Amino acid sequence: MKLISKTLIYYLLISLPLLVIAGLLSYFLIKAELRDGTDETLMSEKVNAQKLIHSLKDSKTIYLSSDSLSNIKLISGKLNSGFIDTLIYDQEENENVGARMLRSYYDFNNNTYQITVVKTTMEEEELLEGILAAFALIIGFLIVSFVIVNWLLSKTLWNPFYKTLSELNKYEIKNHEQHKFTPEKTLEFNQLNAALNKMMEKIYSDYVQQKEFTENASHEMQTPLAVVKANLSLLMQSPHLKEDEMNRLQIIENTIKKLASLNKALILLSKIENNQFEENGSISIKQFTSKITDNYIDLFQSKNITLELNLSEDVMVKMNPTLAEILLTNLIQNAIRHNSENGKIIIELKENQLTISNSGEPLTVPKEHLFMRFKKNDASKESLGLGLAIVNSICKLNNFKIDYSYKNALHTFSINF
Amino acid sequence: MKILLIEDEPELRKSIKQYLHQEGYVVESASDFVKASEKAGVYDYDCVLVDITLPKGSGLDIVKQLKESGSKAGIIIISAKNSSGDKIKGLDLGADDYLAKPFDLAELNSRIKALIRRRNFDGNKSIVVNEIIILPDQRQVTVNNELVALTAKEYDLLLFFISNKNRVVSKNTIAEHLWGDDSDQMDSHDFIYVHLRNLRKKLMDKGCTDYVQTIYGIGYNFKVS
Repeated sequence: MKLISKTLIYYLLISLPLLVIAGLLSYFLIKAELRDGTDETLMSEKVNAQKLIHSLKDSKTIYLSSDSLSNIKLISGKLNSGFIDTLIYDQEENENVGARMLRSYYDFNNNTYQITVVKTTMEEEELLEGILAAFALIIGFLIVSFVIVNWLLSKTLWNPFYKTLSELNKYEIKNHEQHKFTPEKTLEFNQLNAALNKMMEKIYSDYVQQKEFTENASHEMQTPLAVVKANLSLLMQSPHLKEDEMNRLQIIENTIKKLASLNKALILLSKIENNQFEENGSISIKQFTSKITDNYIDLFQSKNITLELNLSEDVMVKMNPTLAEILLTNLIQNAIRHNSENGKIIIELKENQLTISNSGEPLTVPKEHLFMRFKKNDASKESLGLGLAIVNSICKLNNFKIDYSYKNALHTFSINF
Repeated sequence: MKILLIEDEPELRKSIKQYLHQEGYVVESASDFVKASEKAGVYDYDCVLVDITLPKGSGLDIVKQLKESGSKAGIIIISAKNSSGDKIKGLDLGADDYLAKPFDLAELNSRIKALIRRRNFDGNKSIVVNEIIILPDQRQVTVNNELVALTAKEYDLLLFFISNKNRVVSKNTIAEHLWGDDSDQMDSHDFIYVHLRNLRKKLMDKGCTDYVQTIYGIGYNFKVS
């Protein structure tokens, strides 16, 4: 919900009960005032009636109003005197209407007169209706004016905020230079933009530093590795090596190779996570898959692995070609490495989905660990434990959905592009 | 054959120099940008090996300098920055090849040989090792003038052996050469053995001497006396 709609609702939530209270209050106040007015009128009519009695020549009943409700009667016994609220029948309206009646007694010339003066209170009911209508109108006006004011506010006052928001949404660290939060006249938004500019600069400089660190770390590690490797090659040429020494050389060489691969994989991972691969153009998954499986055809044969390739529908994906190759190579290598004796690999491509299945024993580690760094299913195998972590970050980078399942002795990885 | 080696790390420079020297190349070296630029400007080389990250400058500028002065030298970039950006930049500037550190000396050697072969248009296009003749342009191999039908991998393996003849090359090095960097995590040793067995058989069927010696524990040596 928009902030501005929320304020509107709060305004209404507060103002509606207030309006109702104000309406009720004014109703009762006005009603009391009207009653006082009515009573005063009745009192003065009573005084007039008393004066009338003085001027009477003979004692009789006198009707003071056309409907004969207000009258002066000559009576013998007194009833209670005072103001009474009552109902009278209105012939014109054909219904009972509320009325205020003043009954009093007046003794004159040894006669007792009962003076009754009546005034209908229809005005009060009409007044209530009037007040209700007035307040309904006020509430209506309020809502309409709130909406208009909100719309104007969001158009003008909040405009810089929406501008900043859309700029933030567009922000990409690779295009840092193109983004700038411009100064605003409103103090708060100006401060916000200044703070954002400062933050972005900091993030960008950290990003650049980290990027440089990755490159430097790569350089610093690769060169010593190259030195070791080169000297090892030279040492191997020695004609006087004993069998035992050769074995040691082999162990050193394998370890150096592993170290170099590890270094390379870690650098690759940080490069992917730093978003240092740009997507340039779209690539055909079908083409890449065939190319990679062709490259490993010897390996399939030597390991006696049957390859089933169902690449019926091609999928074109917008991604970096180097990453596409690494993604598919890692998955296929994974399927080869964790395969069983005389196993099989099934690769299917259809409806925007690539599935790579291979036969093999069930996992010994939880499924959740599969894509984490250095979580290996089988420690004895020649694996770095980074292959699937790399696959995962490539998928994340490109917003692909990757899933793993194990069914009918088949490990299946599926990617939804 | 004269090679200029531009590399700032002294130990690496020494090893590469020694290895290439054993191959019969004349190797001169430079340890920083200024010395390298001086040498590249004054002398002619058949091949220049250049590291990108150098003290006092970038190796890419050496490549530019060589190309601008119309040098005919083949250029191989050896860099620790295994970034596709640098690779593309280097090749665009006119470098012939790109090798990421840490590389094998045998791999470097075979790249230099391939480069010199490609550059040396007027010279002998075939590689002759006793009874074996290789025509790299056609990827063709004959033994005692008889054509040997080799698979792509077998051909690459033979050429790699011959480029590094009389040297011990490890199985890891061969695997990396045949399957590229992706072979990193492959347990491909048995697999080399299969290719090697087939290659040996095909060569020997045509009456070729078995030059490949197995060096226990390490790898192989293509021994030609």
